[in-house]
Amino acid sequence: MSPSPVMPARGTGRRVASLVAAGLGAALVLTGCSGAEPEKAQPAEWELTAQTDAPSGDLDSFTWANYAEPYSLDYAYAFDYADNMVLANVCESLMRLNPDWTLSPGLAESFAHPTPETWVYEIRSGVTFHDGTPLTAADVVASMSRHLDPAVGSSWYSNYQNVASIEQTGDMQVTVTMTGPDSQFNLGMGGSAGVIESAATLAEKGADYGNSTGGVNCTGPFSFGEWQSGESITLERYDGYWDPELTARSAEVKFIFMNDANARTNALKSGEVDGGWMIPADAVPQLLDSDQGDMLFGLNTAVNNLIISDLEGPLGDVRVRQALLMALDRQGIVDAAVKGYGNTTDVLTTESVWDGASDAAIASAFGDIEEYPYDLEAAKKLVEEAGVAGEELTYVTAPISSDFNVYAQATAAAAEAIGLKVNIETVTPNAYTALFSDPTAREGVDLFYTSWYLSSPDPLEMYSVLRTGEFSNYGEWSNPEFDAVVNEALTIEDPAARSEKTAEAQQIANEELPWLPMFEAPVTLFMGERITGVAPSIAFLYYPWAATIGAR
Amino acid sequence: MTTLRRVAGKLGALLLTLFLASLLVFFSRFLVPGDPVSFLLRGRKPSPEAVAQVTAQYGLDLPPWQQYLNWLTGVLQGDFGRSLQYRQDVSQVIGDRLPVTLGLVIMAGTMIAVVGLTAGIVASLNRGKVLDRAVLIGLTVLGAIPSFVGSIVLIAIFAVQLGWFPSFGSGEGFFDTIYHLVLPSIALAIVFVVLVGKVTRSSMVEQLGREHVEVATSRGLKRGTVIRRHVFRNSIGPILTVSGVLVAGLLVASSIVEAAFGLAGIGSLLVASVDRLDFPVVQAIVLLIVTAFVVVNAIIDVLEPWIDPRAAAGAGAR
Repeated sequence: MSPSPVMPARGTGRRVASLVAAGLGAALVLTGCSGAEPEKAQPAEWELTAQTDAPSGDLDSFTWANYAEPYSLDYAYAFDYADNMVLANVCESLMRLNPDWTLSPGLAESFAHPTPETWVYEIRSGVTFHDGTPLTAADVVASMSRHLDPAVGSSWYSNYQNVASIEQTGDMQVTVTMTGPDSQFNLGMGGSAGVIESAATLAEKGADYGNSTGGVNCTGPFSFGEWQSGESITLERYDGYWDPELTARSAEVKFIFMNDANARTNALKSGEVDGGWMIPADAVPQLLDSDQGDMLFGLNTAVNNLIISDLEGPLGDVRVRQALLMALDRQGIVDAAVKGYGNTTDVLTTESVWDGASDAAIASAFGDIEEYPYDLEAAKKLVEEAGVAGEELTYVTAPISSDFNVYAQATAAAAEAIGLKVNIETVTPNAYTALFSDPTAREGVDLFYTSWYLSSPDPLEMYSVLRTGEFSNYGEWSNPEFDAVVNEALTIEDPAARSEKTAEAQQIANEELPWLPMFEAPVTLFMGERITGVAPSIAFLYYPWAATIGAR
Repeated sequence: MTTLRRVAGKLGALLLTLFLASLLVFFSRFLVPGDPVSFLLRGRKPSPEAVAQVTAQYGLDLPPWQQYLNWLTGVLQGDFGRSLQYRQDVSQVIGDRLPVTLGLVIMAGTMIAVVGLTAGIVASLNRGKVLDRAVLIGLTVLGAIPSFVGSIVLIAIFAVQLGWFPSFGSGEGFFDTIYHLVLPSIALAIVFVVLVGKVTRSSMVEQLGREHVEVATSRGLKRGTVIRRHVFRNSIGPILTVSGVLVAGLLVASSIVEAAFGLAGIGSLLVASVDRLDFPVVQAIVLLIVTAFVVVNAIIDVLEPWIDPRAAAGAGAR
């Protein structure tokens, strides 16, 4: 089982709360009316699609199925699939994260990096907000400064943690000063951390900014139309949009919140809804056969992992972690959990996030690593050597989607096959989410599952969270050598040179297994027969993907 | 005078009930494991100052009794606080969704009244005959269908197969909304029809056997008149009592139906809010349901003697 990353990679992943994982996995929920599914005798085959056919013309409107309602359209809180997939079409960032996971100028026409501590952004002129007012440097300062305001409590605070000041330094120029070299800051400006909103709107809406009544007033190809609480959000084409390349092809797009995976599948199959991201895994085979549209696969940055959250228990011994990984039938998990649409991996990043990496770095990060093939005998031996046979592990799961059950059962079976006992604890989805933010929720917990995606084109995003003392280093794993490598990499500006350090970090994580990498799966998308023009990629979180959709 | 005193007494009991309910509703949240702030963070890395500020913004740093007083003061002024999940006033969040649930409850209530009363009356007037048995069996079968099963079956047949009705959403505008709510209302009504049907039947049967009915019949009054004036009017007490219980039942059961049909009502909101530790919303909805229940029952208590004079006489004698 060698790592077979699906595509060229870059990027780091941002953490995935359980609900996010729900989106990805939500696929599976029981599909009562799923009709005959071919038994998967042959392995699933798929191709990544970079771009679908260009539209033949414009559309009046199309509808899109969202697995959940956004919590908020305030960019400071837009942290999950549901929020960002809508927001990406309404609000724009300083940089633009493209479907191929590269960064290009966005609302900043250009940027300079005169000293390791400063980033200077030249703001694009001729851009207007949806209310018609022009974009100014003051709007940029106001928008970015919110992340530093504790009263806002921004979800993107970690991107700004090294920021000393954000100042207007010219008519259309903003300078960000850091407390030290930080190669990651600018890379994060292509995501929601870099979104720019009108300063006047922020002041006027106050606490209601971004909620269903307050709405937003940004610069994207679509403007905020109507938010029918609990049901739908409608966006309207903005006629004053600055970029002719991304002017919306549809006058309107309506996002419909359909929490029920079965309902979403039915709506897509019947043509009631035109499309949707993150298709329930159970529905993928059905939709592949559907004549209502196309089932597509796109670039992803997520790796599905088991987080080791207690290194004082049996899993504190690296041999036991290795043994558990070797006892996991990861191909079987891919087949059961995502219907075969995935590849097993031994590392925590996908190649897609390694933008600008050197060939040598790619070779060492993905080639020169330890592989953990399915080998029960070797695994048992390791457990015996470690002297932990018979000890008990606690695995926490939640009824979020049926694939969660697959991960739980498979992990328990693997651990028991090598002489460990496993206690599976099922908690509510909310309590599960708390595992990611509340250390007390992790007490006595050895393992839980996550799908972790990166939001910037740099794998360092992944490894920086595994440093000693980091918020998302759930098992409090600590490796001084690893910390030193990552800290050094963070200060390196040149992407190629940085990637070589990052590759070292990846090798250490691959040996030490602070988290157990299971597999990576492509982003899934269904596009109905009325529409075309979308670029299937996890960039749908930050790139105005709906703008390119028009009539087939 | 006695009427006035009785109404005042009811009002006092009502306020006391609501007060006790408010205590229960508010403090029960401290029994639920989990920290609302950790929900707000949803796994994100916060700055320590942000955690402190956010905690303070929602008043979560105060002692519980202080939180209760602030909450109660707000509630009395119509302010239910801010939703943690939607970052919006709770009254706004609930106000957006209340029309859907009310529409659903009103439509289902109408169906229950019409179908339940008709079935009960028809059965009672044909007591022991085939029609009576058919109605009873029919009601029993319906009563065995839980709302979620009913929802799935209705969607499968009338939305997916026949395509007569939409399978999700609550529609826009008056007629479209009614059209969207037909299937959900039926799913919601099914279980409760049984209750009303059976109570109506037994209450009517009891009255039909009463002496005064026989007297009226023997005096040569028309059967229709006897049934309207003597039987039905006297049977209405138990039916009203059951209807009072129904209101709370419908509001609570709506959560299942709303979830199945993708309706944004307060039922599905309640379920989602419980799971997300969105306490201000949960507290407001529970208080709303308790209030609706208590108020409707108080109104029925007050109305009953007015409809059925015997009840007034009984109350006076007590």
